[in-house]
Amino acid sequence: MARSQITWIAIIVISIIVSIILLYPSIVFYTQDQAALKRNTPPEYYSLKSKALRLGLDLQGGVHMVLQVKGTQGGMATKELVDQVKNILEIRIDKFGIAEPDIRTSGADQIVVDLPGYTDIDTAKALIGSTAQLQFKLLKTGDEAQAIAKAIDSVMVLALIKEGKIPERENAPPAQTPSDTAKGIESIFGEASKDTSQEMMTEEEFEENQPFSALLTDWTGRWWYLPMENYYQVMQYLERPEVQAIIPANVQVTFGTRAEKRGDRQFQAIYFLNKNIEMTGDAIVDVRENYDQMRRPVVNFELNSEGARTFGRLTGNHINEPLAIVIDGRVESAPNIQSRITKQGQITMGGEANIADAYLLAVLLKAGALPAEVELLQSTIIGPSLGQDSINKGKIAAVVGVLAVMGFLAIYYGLSGIIADIAIALNVLFVLAFMVIPGVNATLTMPGIAGLILTVGMADDANVIIFERIREELRSGKTVKAAIDTGYAKALLTIIDSHVTTLISALFLFIFGSGPVRGFAVTLSVGIFISLFTALFVTKAVFDMRKQYKSLSI
Amino acid sequence: MIEIIKNPNIAFIPKRKYTFILSGVLVLLGVLGFIFILIGKANMGMDFTGGAEIIGKFDKPVTAQELRNALSDVGYAQATIQSVSGHGFENSFIIRVQGKIENAVPDTTITAEGKTVVNMIAAEGDKLATLLKEAIASHFGDNKFRLDSTNNISGKVGEQLAKDATWAVILAFLGIMIYIWIRFDFRFGVASTVATFHDVLVMLGIYFILQREVSLLFITALLTIAGYSLTDKVVVFDRIRENLKQFRKRSDYGTTVNNSINEVLSRTIITSFTTVLAVLAILIFGGKILFDFALALIIGIMVGTYSSIFLASPILVEWENRSPRRVK
Repeated sequence: MARSQITWIAIIVISIIVSIILLYPSIVFYTQDQAALKRNTPPEYYSLKSKALRLGLDLQGGVHMVLQVKGTQGGMATKELVDQVKNILEIRIDKFGIAEPDIRTSGADQIVVDLPGYTDIDTAKALIGSTAQLQFKLLKTGDEAQAIAKAIDSVMVLALIKEGKIPERENAPPAQTPSDTAKGIESIFGEASKDTSQEMMTEEEFEENQPFSALLTDWTGRWWYLPMENYYQVMQYLERPEVQAIIPANVQVTFGTRAEKRGDRQFQAIYFLNKNIEMTGDAIVDVRENYDQMRRPVVNFELNSEGARTFGRLTGNHINEPLAIVIDGRVESAPNIQSRITKQGQITMGGEANIADAYLLAVLLKAGALPAEVELLQSTIIGPSLGQDSINKGKIAAVVGVLAVMGFLAIYYGLSGIIADIAIALNVLFVLAFMVIPGVNATLTMPGIAGLILTVGMADDANVIIFERIREELRSGKTVKAAIDTGYAKALLTIIDSHVTTLISALFLFIFGSGPVRGFAVTLSVGIFISLFTALFVTKAVFDMRKQYKSLSI
Repeated sequence: MIEIIKNPNIAFIPKRKYTFILSGVLVLLGVLGFIFILIGKANMGMDFTGGAEIIGKFDKPVTAQELRNALSDVGYAQATIQSVSGHGFENSFIIRVQGKIENAVPDTTITAEGKTVVNMIAAEGDKLATLLKEAIASHFGDNKFRLDSTNNISGKVGEQLAKDATWAVILAFLGIMIYIWIRFDFRFGVASTVATFHDVLVMLGIYFILQREVSLLFITALLTIAGYSLTDKVVVFDRIRENLKQFRKRSDYGTTVNNSINEVLSRTIITSFTTVLAVLAILIFGGKILFDFALALIIGIMVGTYSSIFLASPILVEWENRSPRRVK
C-alpha cells in the first residue's frame, strides 16, 4: 500500500472515531428515558443534554417569540437600546429559572427568544413582553370619579344622538343641569353634572341617558368593576376624541392588570387616577414574593434611603387613602394606606392572583424595567405531542429515504454502489457529528432533517459522476487502473464546480433565512461540504485499493 | 452492469423550438403567479399574511362542521379547519385564522400621556383560544378541547421575510452567475442563470395553478432548487467545455453540445432519480409540515432536470448560431 493511501485511511478512521466520540452523549441521551433521568439525577441530565445534539423547538416543543424594540422617539431603536432590552430579558429569564434559553438579536431592532421545552406561553409573554414600569399613583376621590363618568355620559349621549344610535328627546341630557353632589370638580369642568334619580327611569332609558355609566356595574366607592363583555365597548368610548377631550388633563383612566372571576362572570376594574407619578420603582433594591396575614400573595420590596424618604412622605400624607400600584400602565391593586411606610413596602396582588403571579412580578421588578416599548411580532408555542410526532415522522422519513437511495445504488452499481453507500452513511455521521462540535452547536429542526435527507440524495451525485466517468473509460477499453485514475481526474473539477454552486445558494439561505430556513440551510451546506470530502477521499481510498483488480463491479 | 440507456444518442438540440415554446408558456404562468403574489391574490401562507393557528384535541369525536358552527358563534366564520391524522392526534384539529381580524379585542392600555397603546399586537391566537374554549364549552358540553400548540404571527414578520427572501434569491443568483462566469465564460453563466430562473418561475407557475400555499418553506424550496438545478447545469456544461476543446474543428457547435448532453445523460437521470427518491420519503412520511415542501422539491427537481437538457444547452447553441465566436 502506498504511503499516501495509508495517510488517507488514517484520516478517515480518525474522523470516524472523533465523530462517534462527539455523538456518544447524544446517543446515550436520546436512547433513555429523559423524564426519569431529569427527575432522578438532574445534574447528569443537564450535563448530558448540553453535550447532546440540540433539537429545535419544532421537535422538542417550547416557546418561540419575536419582539420588536420600539425607538424612544417613534423612530428605529438604536443598537444600544436593543442590547439593553436583550440584557434585561436575559436577567428576567435567568431569575425566573427557565433552563437553556436562547436569546439573540435579529435584524436591526428585533429580539428572538427561544425557550426550549417551556410551554406556558402566558407566563412567557408576561415575562418577556412586560415593560415592568412600576409607578405609585393616587386615586381621584369617589365624587371626582363619579363626576368624570357622568361627564363622559353626557358627551356620549350627544354623540350617540348625532349618530342616530339613540332617539333624540325633548328633555335635555342630565349633564346639562347643575349638580350638588359633585361640587368638587366644578373647578375642572366649570359646569358639573347632576345625579339623576335612577328609579324614575326604565332600564332602557337609563342606558340611553348614561351610555357609559350603564356599562360599569359595580361601584366600590373609589372605582368601578365592569363585566368583561362590556370591556371592548368601554375601550371604544374612551378612545373617542370627544370623550378624550372631556377627561381632565390630570386624570388617567386605566384598568386592572387581570380580570376577577365572580360566579361564572369575569369582571375588570376601571380606575380614575391622578396622573401625577408620586414615585417609581427605580428606588427598589430588593424584592421577594410572599403571603400576607390573610394568605393572599404579595410582593415585598425594600427601598434605598432616598426612596424610603419619598415613600414615607407620600404614605404619611395620605393615610386612609388608596394608593394605586401601577405596573405598565395598569393597576395591580389599590390598597388603603394604613400608616406611614418607609423602607419596607408591600404590593398586594389584585384580581385572582396566585403566588406564581407574585413570583413573576418579583422577578420583573428585580430585573428592572425595559428601557423601551416592545411589540410582540410572533409568538409560537409547540406542544410536546406535536414535537414528538415530528420526531417520529422525521425518523421514518430519514430511514426510508436513506435506505431507498442506498438500495438503489447497491443494485445499480454493485460493489461500487455499496462503497458509495458507506460514503453516504459516513456522510450522515459526519454531518451530525459536525453539528455537536463544541462551538458549532447547531440545532436540528424538522426542515433540518429534510435538509439531511436531501443531502443524501444529492451527496451521491459526486459518486455518480465518478462512477459514470469510470464506466465510460472502461467502455473505451481502458484497464481498471487507468479507468479509475482518469475517471477521478476528470470528474474532480466537475464535482468541485457543482458543489460550490450548491454551497453558494445554501450560504445565502443561511445568511438571510430565519428559523426553519436556517435549520435547513445548516444541514444542507454542512452536508454538501462533507459529501465532497467523502466522495474525494473515502471512496477514492477504497477505489485506489481496487486498482489492482482485473475487472470492476461498477 | 445495469444501465438505464446504452450509449444514448438522442437529438435534443434540434427539438429546441418546441421546448422553447413549452418553457415560454410555463414561464408566462410563473410570471402570472408572481404578479398574483405581488398583488396579494395568491394563496399566501400565514408566514406572510400574519394570523393565528392553534392545534388542539377533543376528548370525544367532533365533526369539522360542528366545530365550524361553534367558531361562527364567536365570530370566526372565516377560520379554516383541518383535521389532523396520526397516532396521538385522534379528534385533533388545526384551526387557523389568517390576516387581520376585524372583531378582535385589542389588549390596550392608556399611558401616562393619555395615549392608547396596544400591548400585545400578535395576541390573536390567545383570543382565538379563549373564545374557542368558551364556544366549545357551550357547544360540546363535557367534551373538552385541549390545546397542544399555538402560533401567532404579525404581518410585519411577513414583510421582513419577503424582503429577506428576495435578497437571498437575488444575491444567490448573482453569486452563482459570477462563479460560472469565472470558471467557464460569460455565455455559460448567463445560460445557466436564465435556465435556473426559468425553473424557479415554472415552480411558481405550477404552485399557482395547483393553488398550493406559498409559505416560507416554499421559498426555501425555490432556493434549494436553484442550487440543485445549477449543479445539474454545471455538470452538463463541464462536459460541453471539455468536448469543445477536442472537437471544435471537426464538428459543429450544436452536435458537440448534443453529444455532451447524451454523454452525461445517465448521470443526470440517476442523480435526479436518487434525489427524488429521498424527497419522496419526506413527502410520504414527513407529515403535514413538510408535505408541501417536499412536493415543491420534487416538482423543482424534475423541472431542473428538464431545463438542463432542453433549455440551458440549447440557449448556448442558439447564441452561438446567432453570433459565432472565433475558434480559439
